Amino acid sequence: MPKCKINGQEVEVEAGTTIIEAFKKLDSEIAHYCYHPGLSVAGVCRLCMVEIEGNPRLQIACNTVVQDGMVINNNSEKVKETVKWGLDFHLINHPLDCPICDQAGECELQIQYMKFGQYDPEMAEPKVKKNKVVDLGSKIVLDSERCILCSRCVRFTEEVSKTNELGIFNRGDRSEIGTFDGKPLENDYAVNTVDICPVGALTSKDFRFRQRVWYLKNKETVCPGCSTGCNVKSYYNEEGLFRVKPRQNDEVNGYWMCDKGRDTYKFVNKENRLLEPKVGQSGQWDSQEVDGVMSVMSTKIDDAVKSAGSDKVALVLTGQYTSEEYASMLSYFVGHLKSKNVYHWVNNPESFDEFDGLLLRGDRNPNTKGLLNGLDQHGITAPWSDLETKLNAGDIEVLLVAGPEDPSVFPTLTEKVSLFSKAKNLFWMSAAKTEAADSATTKTWQIPLKTYAEKEGTFVNHKGIEQKIQPMVNIVDCAQTLSEVASALSGQKVDHLGSLVKDRKTNHFINHHGGGL
Amino acid sequence: MSIVKKPGAIANWYLPGIFAGMWFTLVTMIRNIFNQDKMITKNYPEDKYEYSPRFKGNHVLTVKKDGSLRCTACMLCATACPADCIKIKASEHENPAVEKYPISYEIDILRCVYCGYCEEACPVDAVRMGPEWQTPGLAGTNFSYDIQHLAYRAQLKGGVLSRVDDEERHKAGI
Amino acid sequence: MEIKLLSEHYDKPEFQGLDGYKKLGGYEPLKKAFQMQPKAIIEMVKESGLRGRGGAGFPTGVKWGFLPDNGEPRYLLCNADEGEPGTFKDRLMMERAPHQLIEGMIISAFAVGSHKGYIYIRGEYNEPTAILQKAIAEAYDAGLLGKNILGSGFDFDLDVYQGAGAYICGEETGMISSLEGKKGQPKLKPPFPAVQGYLGKPTIVNNVETLAAVKYIIRDGADGYRKHGTEKSAGTKLFSVSGNVMKPGTYEVPLGYKLMDLINIECGGLKPGRKLKAVIPGGSSAPVLTAAECADATMDYENLAQKGTMLGSGAVIIIDDTNCMVDMLKVILHFYHHESCGQCTPCREGTGWLHKIVSSIYSGTGRLQDIDLIQQVADHMAGKTICALSDAAAMPAVSFVQKFRSEFEFYVREGRSKVKGAVDAQV
Repeated sequence: MPKCKINGQEVEVEAGTTIIEAFKKLDSEIAHYCYHPGLSVAGVCRLCMVEIEGNPRLQIACNTVVQDGMVINNNSEKVKETVKWGLDFHLINHPLDCPICDQAGECELQIQYMKFGQYDPEMAEPKVKKNKVVDLGSKIVLDSERCILCSRCVRFTEEVSKTNELGIFNRGDRSEIGTFDGKPLENDYAVNTVDICPVGALTSKDFRFRQRVWYLKNKETVCPGCSTGCNVKSYYNEEGLFRVKPRQNDEVNGYWMCDKGRDTYKFVNKENRLLEPKVGQSGQWDSQEVDGVMSVMSTKIDDAVKSAGSDKVALVLTGQYTSEEYASMLSYFVGHLKSKNVYHWVNNPESFDEFDGLLLRGDRNPNTKGLLNGLDQHGITAPWSDLETKLNAGDIEVLLVAGPEDPSVFPTLTEKVSLFSKAKNLFWMSAAKTEAADSATTKTWQIPLKTYAEKEGTFVNHKGIEQKIQPMVNIVDCAQTLSEVASALSGQKVDHLGSLVKDRKTNHFINHHGGGL
Repeated sequence: MSIVKKPGAIANWYLPGIFAGMWFTLVTMIRNIFNQDKMITKNYPEDKYEYSPRFKGNHVLTVKKDGSLRCTACMLCATACPADCIKIKASEHENPAVEKYPISYEIDILRCVYCGYCEEACPVDAVRMGPEWQTPGLAGTNFSYDIQHLAYRAQLKGGVLSRVDDEERHKAGI
Repeated sequence: MEIKLLSEHYDKPEFQGLDGYKKLGGYEPLKKAFQMQPKAIIEMVKESGLRGRGGAGFPTGVKWGFLPDNGEPRYLLCNADEGEPGTFKDRLMMERAPHQLIEGMIISAFAVGSHKGYIYIRGEYNEPTAILQKAIAEAYDAGLLGKNILGSGFDFDLDVYQGAGAYICGEETGMISSLEGKKGQPKLKPPFPAVQGYLGKPTIVNNVETLAAVKYIIRDGADGYRKHGTEKSAGTKLFSVSGNVMKPGTYEVPLGYKLMDLINIECGGLKPGRKLKAVIPGGSSAPVLTAAECADATMDYENLAQKGTMLGSGAVIIIDDTNCMVDMLKVILHFYHHESCGQCTPCREGTGWLHKIVSSIYSGTGRLQDIDLIQQVADHMAGKTICALSDAAAMPAVSFVQKFRSEFEFYVREGRSKVKGAVDAQV
């Protein structure tokens, strides 16, 4: 294990580590654009210059391997001057369109300029003009003038997505990123190029001009798009979620996430949500209060159990909820009702086991594994066909369905709802507002649930790795979690955070205005 | 901390003070009647005070030569605004040379503190504080000014032209 | 005095064909080489003091010794992408003596243990390509290429690959990228081509002249070759002399030859009435020498390095007093601006910037501070990139401005050239 000294600090690294990785290990600052830990080394931005004792020439840190006894620094005047000029070279042909550039606020050029630059520009000649607002397909817009040709995106399509759409065309300062023959950049991982673009050259059409980044807060969470459970950062403000970006986790997703996962913020926002409980059937619906619906549900279940036994009550669960919610719902069913009438709704059985080789899995639920674990613990093995038989025979008095959070991954939603309509009373719990649910033909209560962005809990991914999610926004005030529903059904009172409260009066002000999440 | 003096014996006997004040008022009134042109107060609203053209009053959104908005919806004004009274919604312009423009730009004038930060923050001379200072409104008047009002209200006579020349800027690579 | 070693028979048309070449002693050294051990050939080349003739002047034998002994296939590439402005010796060598190069390559391949070679030839060199292809076909027919060459048991295949005319493909890793079918861009070093080159395999890249010279080292022995030239710069070198001389052309002289002799004796001196102003001794990327510096300059690696310039590929450009240095620099920088591959930022942006600054001085809109700016920009480009193209652009810029500053200042102040002839030419 070679030892080296970086800016006076001793560090021991594994053999073969490059200097820039050693800097990262020390959390020491070093300027760089083209280096990305998930991609090969290009060494073209020439900004990560370091001075190595005994070497008269400055070396780039990204392509120099640490040797034992190296004394490295990047804070000498020589290095600073070089980095300053390196930045100047990047900026001489860069248009000053920060006001309309979506990257402003998280732009590496801005960050580096504030750290290393802050000079009067020397360039008095006209800038090179290139193509602006180039459409690269349905997801991405390219601005060649802003591009600093770090080639991260090109390397991404070569090495990670292996689709090779992007290339650098032309030479010298006329170089431009582009796709050959205008072929669009349409692979399932394309938007990762926007994330790794250090400047505003590649912008996502989905996020373009919707918010300035400094208005957004972010929290670390887990993508609920499929059973891979990519680690992500969600960006939100009081209006809702705006975008999702991957964060590094070598065990799960590396540095990337798929474009389908980036859409998972959409169903959280108000326009796609069930905003209040309602009762009715076949398109005729009346609004309800949460407490009222809960007590109706509780009475219906009690009546059914008393009159015909707990076999008449059934619960349908999908893999979209947290392990904690499953645990409380199952313990209510198995412990309280003494019923094992719980069924696992597999949303897309045909493509459930598919895998695209990189990240995206056919199981488009974040917590199928958690659900199966829960069912296993309670010894529930009833197959889906049992439920179908019972429903067709009219044996189900009360059916509780924890429906989709993201209805777009439920291709057979309408058929399933018409199947569930064969129960006498249907309690449809879902975060989403769907036409399918509105078309239910039996007496139905729709109860809004919280999405992954509004609650805390655990998702278990396909490998069995448990990952925590955390609440960040509060979109629908009256939305419940399954745990809250289970508590209400078993007669316990909960406060708005889902924790049990004994005989405390509800403070409506806190409930409705001071959510504080 | 203010220091409160205990009133003396004479001051407690307040009538002389009152008469002195009334005398001053009477003298000033008579002087004003005979020298109306030197009078400081104005007979508003018939008689209005002339403010400097550089007075920072109501906002104006400047326009380009073709009459379209100069604003690029960069939201720096909204960011700088201490009263949080500017709301902008951006959208993609069909002309790629413009790229971004505001589809809605609203200033809640009742929240505005006329600090002028928006004007200072603007990188493209799109928002200015104009010399207008009278913004009366009847009950029910909307005090949330939209693009129509900010850029094209009748008082502006077709809009205020921005001094930033687009073509020049484009040539300079900005 | 011109010594004709490589170029001995260049004026004989029959030297181009296989029969004529054999008659004049061709392929004899090859037979001699096959009698030797490959290691012995490498040692011999090391002893001969042969240095790369492409520009960098790296000792050839040492380069060959870098090959790792790991049993991977090795490639021998001949760099015939002669793109340096002012250089044209390789073209002459390939046109007049294609078999000389082929023979040199077979010997070199035998020495380094390579069984596949490519001649990467410049895109514009259509005629030399045709001649080389014909010569290679002849060689294959005569059993000089292919399997079991001359019964020695050594196999060697040789192909010609024509580039698309990019200067950067003359840089060895750029050339390898281009040969691999990628965009011709230099690769990061390390790994060096000798370890991971063409298709990730150990690769040796040598200039046409270097490979051809190997033949004469085998023929005359290391000492025989060493007797030409100086202690550290052994052998002869072909110089491509161009510019304001009476007889521009390619001349073979021993290294260490006096520059003034090359100009006055070989090239017939300057045009009558003209005065020597400057000489670029090693192609457009070499720093310029003033007339005063030329007086005692000798054409070898050490002396020129001592004078702050380099021998490069031996392209000697003679500049007399009718040339405007601003114009000259503008043309040179235009070339590098056009030819920068655009990979590394300092070079991509710097070459364009330098070209724009000098162009604005040339068009009369320059500012006095621009002259210092040229030096600053060039200083921060040089040595900061993957390959040497940024140095190649920066070095002439710095040397022109340093050595002819008064001309630049005059141009900025007056808006016209200090040199009368150049102004006339401009109009």
